[in-house]
Amino acid sequence: MAGILVWAETHNNAIRKSTYEAATVGKLLGRPDDDMAAVLINDLDLAQSLGTLGFSKVYTLEGEIFNQYASEAYCEALAVAAEEMHADTIILGATSRGRDISGRLAARLDGVLISDITDIKTDADGIRFVRPMYSGKLLAEIRIDHQPAIITARPNVFASGEYDVIEADIAPLAITDISIKTQVNQALQAAKGVLDIGEADIIVSGGRGVGGPEGFKAIEDLAQALNAAIGASRAAVDSGWIPYKHQIGQTGKVVTPTLYIACGISGAIQHFAGMGSSRFIIAINNDPESPIMKKADFAIVGDLFKIIPVLKEEILKHRS
Amino acid sequence: MNIAVILKQVPDTEANVAADPTHPGKIVEDTLKFILNPYDEYAVEEALVIAEKSGGEVIGVCIGSDRAEWAIRTAMAMGIHRAVFITDPEAVESDIITQAKILASIIKTLDVSLILCGRSWIDLQEDALAPALGHFLNIAHVSNAGKIDVDCLKATVIRELDGGTLEVRVTLPAVISCSKELNEPRYPTLIAIKRSKNKEIKRVTLSDLGMTPGTPRSFVTDLQTPSSRGKGKIVTGDPADMVKEAVQWLSDEAKII
Ligand SMILES: Cc1cc2nc3c(=O)[nH]c(=O)nc-3n(C[C@H](O)[C@H](O)[C@H](O)COP(=O)(O)OP(=O)(O)OC[C@H]3O[C@@H](n4cnc5c(N)ncnc54)[C@H](O)[C@@H]3O)c2cc1C
Ligand SMILES: Nc1ncnc2c1ncn2[C@@H]1O[C@H](COP(=O)(O)O)[C@@H](O)[C@H]1O
Repeated sequence: MAGILVWAETHNNAIRKSTYEAATVGKLLGRPDDDMAAVLINDLDLAQSLGTLGFSKVYTLEGEIFNQYASEAYCEALAVAAEEMHADTIILGATSRGRDISGRLAARLDGVLISDITDIKTDADGIRFVRPMYSGKLLAEIRIDHQPAIITARPNVFASGEYDVIEADIAPLAITDISIKTQVNQALQAAKGVLDIGEADIIVSGGRGVGGPEGFKAIEDLAQALNAAIGASRAAVDSGWIPYKHQIGQTGKVVTPTLYIACGISGAIQHFAGMGSSRFIIAINNDPESPIMKKADFAIVGDLFKIIPVLKEEILKHRS
Repeated sequence: MNIAVILKQVPDTEANVAADPTHPGKIVEDTLKFILNPYDEYAVEEALVIAEKSGGEVIGVCIGSDRAEWAIRTAMAMGIHRAVFITDPEAVESDIITQAKILASIIKTLDVSLILCGRSWIDLQEDALAPALGHFLNIAHVSNAGKIDVDCLKATVIRELDGGTLEVRVTLPAVISCSKELNEPRYPTLIAIKRSKNKEIKRVTLSDLGMTPGTPRSFVTDLQTPSSRGKGKIVTGDPADMVKEAVQWLSDEAKII
């Protein structure tokens, strides 16, 4: 059967949000219900639950080579499933693993890659995929003239929808022939409770205006009250106030949260490249002329150290 | 140890990139300032450091139109030794996977043990080059490296992964994409810039490589400027009043709390 294959990305034995989003993308392609299969690697106890996302078939692979993330093995697992079902479309979340797999997979399957899509348009001209280019300065519509297509979906854009509950048919597969040239020495997990900025629904970010590493305490406080992840501008990262993995922008991460709160950040074009497509932006800045104040949906003019503690209290009060 | 670095020229990060009204799917290029892809600078720096330690040449490999020679010269001013440059329009305009295939066939003609590239191309915003090169060269790839230690036949690489980091050991040759965390790229000195003008750029064509351009696999049919943000609310005055208004907005308009 030709059809759509979705990578069921898991983490700590749970299905990741990116998997739901990829399933939504599959649905949006408007094909018959039984056209969509998932591929699940290890965590096989989750196979049945994928039926509730509308997958009629779940290809499973397991083995020690998948215990730690290894690009070549994961790519090959997806390739084997795609070949088994003659998939014409393979969808992954544009998570760090999804991005990593998709490039190699597209090469491996002689496919065409469309990364980081944020929308799908369907009309008389057929299907076009929409994705930001040039740091979000332009949105491109892309038509595909080749199969298979490997599509990655920007996190936090495609909501998990209503799926038909289907009894998934489970089909075990195996990788027969692969020499893996990567050995994983160790995998370090981020501390528990630390949210990844790539997938967070709310991000509170600090910039040079935060003034120093101690200043990030205020950012952390607000983030905690909102169950948000912590972001930063390059100025804050380059000053050594916070690790690089928090950097948002051109040379950091691109994020699409529902709410982005920029504190003491001027809103340089390179920063905007990373957060400009957030659903809502709040800016806290003592300079009303800072570029971010003109881009924000809600701009608070004032000293962030005076505003943030009050804001945090007021949010906690509102919540209770 | 010889190292290949993939180079790409992209519009400057500050540039106002606009859709070309007369050529659907294309941007207006005449007035744009172009730079070496910022992530490629980390790859160049890392290659130079490794080559300085181990001895060996750093060879740039670039697909681009003639103007991309400036990106190559910039990397040469930083210190890379020579470069291979392919300018066929079919190559320049092809998708990233096809470009990886072309780059791989050039790399096969070089005697290199390591291939470095930037984590992402900031114009097309694609992170697929290293993974695709890994496949075409039948070697390991590591994306988004924050630390690289090379010994004679292997490299230990730390890369970021959602929710943590991964330390891997790869057999060389391998292809590694470089993040900002790796290093601080050097600024070319004036004398280095001068010297770079005489370094060798070897031009090759698709037919030299025995490759025929395939038909394009995807088309940008339209480029739009995203609806501009702004016309938001700006509040000034007493912190308590501003915060009250903000929380009201969060709950009524944004419906977040
Ligand atoms: C190739 C390239 C790539 C880049 N990549 C990135 C990137 O990925 N991410 C990124 O962020 N930048 C990036 N930059 C840098 C970017 O151009 C800016 O320099 C940077 O974003 C500025 O950071 P900032 O807003 O924190 O600092 P500033 O521009 O210095 O702004 C600080 C702001 O804080 C406000 N402020 C000060 N004190 C207070 C206070 N007490 N209360 C409230 N507000 C206060 C000020 O009014 C000001 O608006 C890149 C640049 C280049 C050239
Ligand atoms: N688009 C360009 N046009 C002319 N010269 C350039 C261009 N890009 C880079 N250069 C040269 O490359 C070197 C470094 O450029 P820059 O990093 O822009 O300062 C300088 O010697 C410039 O002359």
